[in-house]
Amino acid sequence: MNAAEANRDVTPADVDLSRVWLGVAARVWARQPGRLERLAGRLLRSPGLARALLTTPSLLLGWVIATAAVLAAGAAATSWTGTPWVALIAPAVAGTGIAYAYGPGIDPAWELSCSMAVSDRMVLLVRALAVFSLNAVLGLAASAAAVAAGISGSAASVTFGWLVPMTAVCALTLAAATVARSAMVGVAAGLAAWTITVLAGQSASGRFTAVVTDSALILPYLACAAACTAIAWYATRTPKGTT
Amino acid sequence: MNVEIAGVTRRFGRNLAVAGVDLETGPGVFGLLGPNGAGKTTLLRMLATVIGPSAGTLRLLGRDPASYGPRREIRRRLGYLPQSLGYYPGFTVAEFVEYFALLKEMPPAGVSAAVATAVERVDLGGKARAKLRTLSGGMLRRVGIAQAIVNEPELLLLDEPTAGLDPEQRVAFRTLLRDLGQRATVIVSTHLVEDVGAACTEVALMDAGKIVFHGTPAELTARGEGRGTGDAPLERGYSAVLAQARS
Amino acid sequence: MDDAELIAAVAGGDDAALRELFGRHAPWLAARLRSVLSATDVEDVLQETFLAVWRGARGYRPDGPAAGWIWGIARRQAALFLRRRGPAALVLPAVIAADGQHAGDPADAALSRADLAGAVAALGPEDSPDRRVWQLMYVEDRPVAEVADLMGIPEGTVKSRAHRARRRLRAALRGLEPEGGTR
Repeated sequence: MNAAEANRDVTPADVDLSRVWLGVAARVWARQPGRLERLAGRLLRSPGLARALLTTPSLLLGWVIATAAVLAAGAAATSWTGTPWVALIAPAVAGTGIAYAYGPGIDPAWELSCSMAVSDRMVLLVRALAVFSLNAVLGLAASAAAVAAGISGSAASVTFGWLVPMTAVCALTLAAATVARSAMVGVAAGLAAWTITVLAGQSASGRFTAVVTDSALILPYLACAAACTAIAWYATRTPKGTT
Repeated sequence: MNVEIAGVTRRFGRNLAVAGVDLETGPGVFGLLGPNGAGKTTLLRMLATVIGPSAGTLRLLGRDPASYGPRREIRRRLGYLPQSLGYYPGFTVAEFVEYFALLKEMPPAGVSAAVATAVERVDLGGKARAKLRTLSGGMLRRVGIAQAIVNEPELLLLDEPTAGLDPEQRVAFRTLLRDLGQRATVIVSTHLVEDVGAACTEVALMDAGKIVFHGTPAELTARGEGRGTGDAPLERGYSAVLAQARS
Repeated sequence: MDDAELIAAVAGGDDAALRELFGRHAPWLAARLRSVLSATDVEDVLQETFLAVWRGARGYRPDGPAAGWIWGIARRQAALFLRRRGPAALVLPAVIAADGQHAGDPADAALSRADLAGAVAALGPEDSPDRRVWQLMYVEDRPVAEVADLMGIPEGTVKSRAHRARRRLRAALRGLEPEGGTR
């Protein structure tokens, strides 16, 4: 009889050691949510949704830093060359972030997520909004920095004008990603669409910035955004019928 | 009755995966047997509210999963282990189980205790804070079982849960099943007939989208007497029923 | 891994080591505490003990046996627990009251009795010579001559056995070996 077996015989019959260990383990293994997560949990009224939000790949620190760096480079390029690079790259960067916010293309436990009480659509909505807002804020900061560094002229329309195209690009990316169940497809679709738009605008009016300054384009952009959002919404419903 | 389904069918395009299934079951362990492609996974996905039926009615835990509110209530009381469950490599075992406990809207105060209980029940107590990427296939399967049981579900759906488990672990798993089946409806889909015989109180055999047998393991064994092929009595019953259904 | 290595691992954040320590030590700790506390109270104190081990593993110096260090923590947790709950939590309140002499903390007294019981058990089974000498000379308070008579041995032998028993008890209380002598 070894020490372990001798030990087991020693335990008083009415003491439940496995219950004791579970009490210890619960405290030792517990994860303490950070302040941001607790705040998000209160705002969203769902700790699960907060946790899902803060584990979004495109909201992780590394990704955020990379986004900020790209936009900062754009701001620097803008102030040196006068071409508003920030306006042109912000929508593309945001689209990439949105594609990696969600879904079957990036969630290895996708099937399981579809059976959760916190529905995958809610998670998508919250993540997409968060990524969009973050990218908008970073983009605005970059634009403001470029303006402060002294580019002239119609700074305002270029500083803010890209927000509407960004919305359209994000919606398109999301629609493609949810329909194709692949983040890569989403990114490809979004980048391709934006590049084509920019080039088309450039060949039509001779300026790169046409796509972000031409106010006639605002309505088409918003219409595109609305349609793509509807497509993404439809693509994320619980499949019924024959799909 | 935790599960009541009537005339449920499911098509994918032209493919008829589930061709009219009627089932009613209460607490206990229910085995779902059948060859690959019989429609077991599709049926389980419908029970897990991941997809809806093409036709027929479904009532789970006394609720209709077609509407958002009741579906959410069902999902809070549901445990599901899909056939292939991916994992988040950077998460630890405890973090993974906790993540899904939160997504099942468990009250936060009880989550850490529930996670500890679930992790110990699948015998991963020594690996609770190990990263998932360091675990073997069998251990990952047990992590999957742990997340399925963390919220003490009333309806537990397990699709091929013993894949990758060694014989000793399978025995432990069957004990766990019997334990869980005391209060909950546990539906285990498997093509390993021995898994079923040992733990299940009821068995259904599916082939080509239909249920071709529904009864106790003993009744299935009886069907195989003198007729079926296989080493074990239950296997003979299984093959006899299939042969009959296909003739 | 031996206990000292396990505690070092726990100090480094290894929860699997804590689980191993629990498996090794919780049973005899439970047995020892059970002589003083009710079963549910033992469970609560043990839980607090191992949480304290988790938090305080860095403070362990491998100069004494690990079991003694852990018992020290358990003892402190039990005392804290009893002070919060009041003397009613004690299993043997009547015994302590009858004993009367203990000025000061009944919690401490009860735990000292648990300590002593453990140390006496380390002397050997009940009919071993050292235990018998201890029982007759110190518990029943008989003179040396009477003990020699009862045990059928010379007085000199009684005295040397008593001396040995005292020495072993002192060592046991200091080292606080767990019952059965397993380390």
